[in-house]
Amino acid sequence: MARLNIGADDLVDNPTPRVPVSLCLDTSSSMSGSPIQELVRGVNLFYDAIDEDDDAHDSAEINIVEFNSSAGLVHDFASIERLQRISSLAASGTTAMGAGVNLALDTLETRKATYSGSGVLYYQPWLVLMTDGAPTDNIDTAVMRVVDMVEAKKLTVFPIGIGSGADMKTLARFSPNRPPLRLDGLKFKEFFEWLSRSVARVSRSTPGDTVKLDLEGLAGWAEL
Amino acid sequence: MSSPVVLLDPVEFLQPNRRLFIDTNVFMDTEPRRAGGLKRLFERGQTTILANNNPIVVPTKVVGELTKQSQIDPSGESEERAQAIKKAGAALTFLKSASRVGLVRKDLGDDTNPYADDLFLQLFERFAGTYEMCLLTHDITIKLRIRLLAHRLAKRLLVGVLTKDGDLEVDTDDSLFDRGHRKYARHAARVADGTGNFKDESEVAALKPLLDEFGKIFGLKTSAVKLGPRTTRSSAPSPSTARWPAATPAAPVNPFSARARLKPSDTPLAFSALPSEGERVEWASADKTGTLVLGALLGEGGEGTVYDGDRSTVVKIFDRDHLTRHRKEKIELLVGRNLRAKGLCIPTAVVRNSAGEFVGYVMPKASGREFQRTIFNKRKFEREFPTWKKTDLVDICISFLEKVQYLHSMNVILGDINPKNLMVDEKKNVFIIDADSWQLEGYPCPVGTPMFTSPAMLGKAYSDDLRAMEDELFAVATMLFMIVMTGQFPYIRTGTDGDMVQLIKEGNFAFQYENRNNKDQPEGDWKYMWSHIHKPVKDLFWHSFHREGKRYKKRPTATEWLEAFKAYKSYLRNGRMCFDPMSNDVYPIRNKAFKQDAPIQDCPTCGRKDAIAGIWNDDNEEYFVPRQCNKCRDQQPAPLSTARPPSTTRTAASRPTSQPTATCKDCHTSFPTAQLKYGRCPACTTKANTLDPNRLCTDCRQPFITYDHIAWFTAKYLDIPKSHSAIKQVCPAAGRPTPSPTAKSRSQSQPGFWTRLWKWFAGN
Ligand SMILES: [Zn+2]
Repeated sequence: MARLNIGADDLVDNPTPRVPVSLCLDTSSSMSGSPIQELVRGVNLFYDAIDEDDDAHDSAEINIVEFNSSAGLVHDFASIERLQRISSLAASGTTAMGAGVNLALDTLETRKATYSGSGVLYYQPWLVLMTDGAPTDNIDTAVMRVVDMVEAKKLTVFPIGIGSGADMKTLARFSPNRPPLRLDGLKFKEFFEWLSRSVARVSRSTPGDTVKLDLEGLAGWAEL
Repeated sequence: MSSPVVLLDPVEFLQPNRRLFIDTNVFMDTEPRRAGGLKRLFERGQTTILANNNPIVVPTKVVGELTKQSQIDPSGESEERAQAIKKAGAALTFLKSASRVGLVRKDLGDDTNPYADDLFLQLFERFAGTYEMCLLTHDITIKLRIRLLAHRLAKRLLVGVLTKDGDLEVDTDDSLFDRGHRKYARHAARVADGTGNFKDESEVAALKPLLDEFGKIFGLKTSAVKLGPRTTRSSAPSPSTARWPAATPAAPVNPFSARARLKPSDTPLAFSALPSEGERVEWASADKTGTLVLGALLGEGGEGTVYDGDRSTVVKIFDRDHLTRHRKEKIELLVGRNLRAKGLCIPTAVVRNSAGEFVGYVMPKASGREFQRTIFNKRKFEREFPTWKKTDLVDICISFLEKVQYLHSMNVILGDINPKNLMVDEKKNVFIIDADSWQLEGYPCPVGTPMFTSPAMLGKAYSDDLRAMEDELFAVATMLFMIVMTGQFPYIRTGTDGDMVQLIKEGNFAFQYENRNNKDQPEGDWKYMWSHIHKPVKDLFWHSFHREGKRYKKRPTATEWLEAFKAYKSYLRNGRMCFDPMSNDVYPIRNKAFKQDAPIQDCPTCGRKDAIAGIWNDDNEEYFVPRQCNKCRDQQPAPLSTARPPSTTRTAASRPTSQPTATCKDCHTSFPTAQLKYGRCPACTTKANTLDPNRLCTDCRQPFITYDHIAWFTAKYLDIPKSHSAIKQVCPAAGRPTPSPTAKSRSQSQPGFWTRLWKWFAGN
């Protein structure tokens, strides 16, 4: 399990505007076996790539929310320096996607409040939602919150379907601006490489700038 | 041939309807030919001065310049220079006694005027209709300016120097024109042979149009001017001519137009192919052409690709989206003008492909790395430059400002000033890249960075309009702040929602300033960094960034900043002025010590040097010295909840010796509760009970109201009272003797400079 040390100093001592990224991951029983293993590998690779990028290193703050029969926080937001790599995630239970997204949004709100309270600049947050199935709980509130925030330009959301069982119609509800993407096979590695490049791109911009996503890079991992 | 000078009696300018002024350089003149002239002037003039109550004016700015000069360490300076420094010191002593007896007035002028030169010009222009005025100065540039002003206004405004006997020596038009040209040639020669500095370049830029106008108005011809022996250097061959593709030193550079209109919108250029690594291209500088092979690919940016040129140059080839008419024409202008200055990566040659189409340009290689990757973040800063102190950051500001000042003198606006197009090397040289985005001759700078965009420009498309100098100066001020504060944004504050545009527009500069208690100050050590900044620079920052500041709408120029940062540099070097050793730290961990006599100690817990400074307690009139430094104090176990600690936090029971602490309501630092008074720490209590020296009672002209009292009115949105009687107090008896008329008028003249000046001119 991931552990982290909370340090207030590097939060306020670092003047670089922060980009909070919440990884909201499906860990229901259907993910067990190679999907969850590839997912863990992908996440760790994401961490490494952020760590190595001189800009993203000081900007990105990442947390992980998992959802199965309920939602839980795998680790809270921290800078890459304080994040230990995750060793495993357990896959079991149903797909409480509504609870997962709500929790991820709550953690993002809390983090923004921390930035605001201590005087730290930030970019509007990112939410990465990954699932291989369909929700087993009510997602209406979560969808409404996400859509409102995206339309107010307060959130960038990446809904990603894993495998043929992913309910793309549901994911589409979370993405008012662009269609959700389906991962090509188990190309988690390619996806997270793309994600880290995108985070790095944002961290080289100024908050408020419109950052163009690397759409060509999508081809490396998405089923188009 | 007639005499080049006219001699006049300076005493005529001591008559009631006339005024006499003296510039700094006259006091520092070491020329034996004129020795004793000043003394004679005062001997000859004193009766007239006193009879008319018309003292000679030595503006505050001049006194300030003399003070600064007198503080320079003369060892290592030339003998002449050392003598001049000594003279500055002597002049100050003299001025002190002369003003005491009413012979000199030195309380006119304020610090908002960056240069004495500008001050004199403003003064002469403004009062030309009322008085005949004379300025004593050796500066030929200002002499030319005032002569032109006198002609334009058709008024009697004289400039001259003193002879040994105290006579006023005024150049004839011819002689002044001649001397102006010699000065010009001297600076131009240094610029041309590559030994020039920014001063040479700005003199050249200033003198050229001045002399043109002077010649035209007085019907004088340049050809009549023979360059004297002093200008021999201009004919020396320059060794740098041989090297490709730097062009031969050309004639001194004319600035670009200051009033060009916006060009029609940019359009893409047609091209057949974009060359890449290993391909041969053609280049053309101002006066040469040739070919070269593109070297190794050095980097791909947002607009194109950069290749190795030769040892000292690189080649930028635009990508298809950025190959446009504006860029081509702008680069041709820059290449043709042949501007050259160290640290400015200005195009030196245009580059064409084999089809002869414009595709890019050659420029000098920058050294160092981007600000963004070096000084704008603590982690990177400590990795790149672990030994640097504050003074090194001040040097970077100076290096940056010299370049900006030069470009502004050429009527070039940089436009997109940001930490990715400024580089710094380990010798603290600043390099400015991305010259192809600069704004000149009506070609706009098509790009920008929100963080450095002025409130007026925010929300507009950068390419749609020309930037005003005010917009540029916003970016300059922001950049300077972020250099000194290693990457922190001026408008950072608590309670933001991350909307940078909003932060800039609202103008709520949150760092603690004077008696203002801004509760939005960011957490962390930033407040300590801010606290140690040299007061004049701090003043400029605050007034530029805060919407209530005096310079919020009229931002300081590069020249003004340059002067402030040079003063910051000498302040840091001067152990008497800069008494707190932590002021030279890049990351101080406490506020600047209250006063010179405050005890400063190493922290006994962690051993950090100078980490503890005594805090003045007004009640028992002594310094309270905390037992440990802020860092050690903050490391005490915090409450488990992530919420902010309650205002009074008892520490764990296992530490019975710890005192309870609470946060001071003004500075937000925690103190033992016993030290707090009405929620304030000793230092803030003192501050709160201090009379604001800038607010004077309208009746007695004395300070009358405390900072605390002001804050009370401000918090209630009430107007701040203006007199003792308005706060139910009685004016103190005017017990001070008035030894001379000057002293009297001085104490009456505390309001703004122009008001005081008006009063004085009105014979008050
Ligand atoms: Zn300590």
